[in-house]
Amino acid sequence: MQRTRTYECMCLLDNREVRKGWDALKNAVSGQFTKHGAKILSSRRWDERRLAYPINGQHRGTYLLVYFSADTNAVALIRRDMQFNESVMRTLLLECEEVPQGAYEPEAAFDVNAIPSDDAPAAAPEPVPEPMAAEESHEARTEA
Amino acid sequence: MSSSNSGGGGYRDGGGGGGGRDSGGGPRRSKFGRFGAPRREVLPEEPLEYKNSPYLAKFVSANGRIQSRKRTGFSGQNQRKLANAIKHARLIGLMPFVGRA
Repeated sequence: MQRTRTYECMCLLDNREVRKGWDALKNAVSGQFTKHGAKILSSRRWDERRLAYPINGQHRGTYLLVYFSADTNAVALIRRDMQFNESVMRTLLLECEEVPQGAYEPEAAFDVNAIPSDDAPAAAPEPVPEPMAAEESHEARTEA
Repeated sequence: MSSSNSGGGGYRDGGGGGGGRDSGGGPRRSKFGRFGAPRREVLPEEPLEYKNSPYLAKFVSANGRIQSRKRTGFSGQNQRKLANAIKHARLIGLMPFVGRA
């Protein structure tokens, strides 16, 4: 029995492909959903960030968040197609109950040339202020 | 009346075996905290979603292990949501499997 449900799919895209053109890549990825009869409700860039661990030799990646409705039978086909796509490094496809309102807002302008290089050093870790605060409070207590 | 007392199958009387108080029903957890105060359920301050990785990182140890219910204080349902969200965030590269990002 086929049922139409709403899904969300977070795709991790290779920045080397993103630099070649964002709109073309986004349309190519979206085409993999519509190819199997899915109806795209929202498709927008979620973020570009440093990855927690290197994937396919890449330390940074761009996330594309797609909300779509599709038959339950089509999900396995979509998932398989995403695995074959080399510009998509990882995919997380989950069922979602409703599309958040923020997903319908227009996508912010995205300059692919502003993507930092993959070799860029990681941001310096923020100093942990807790021990300092604890010491200060201890000093304040002793002074009082 | 007497049958309700004796035949109720309480774990202390009906356990059948010797040993401690709770020997009848397998391992039992105390409903009290360590110092006797009743445990209170902690509610998550933010949604437990894989996209909310900065908040999820609060419930992960320095080695990357998910904290237990005893430490988070969440209900069983929220603890399951937390664990699933962290595992999803790991798969998509938002959180590390081991260590701190």
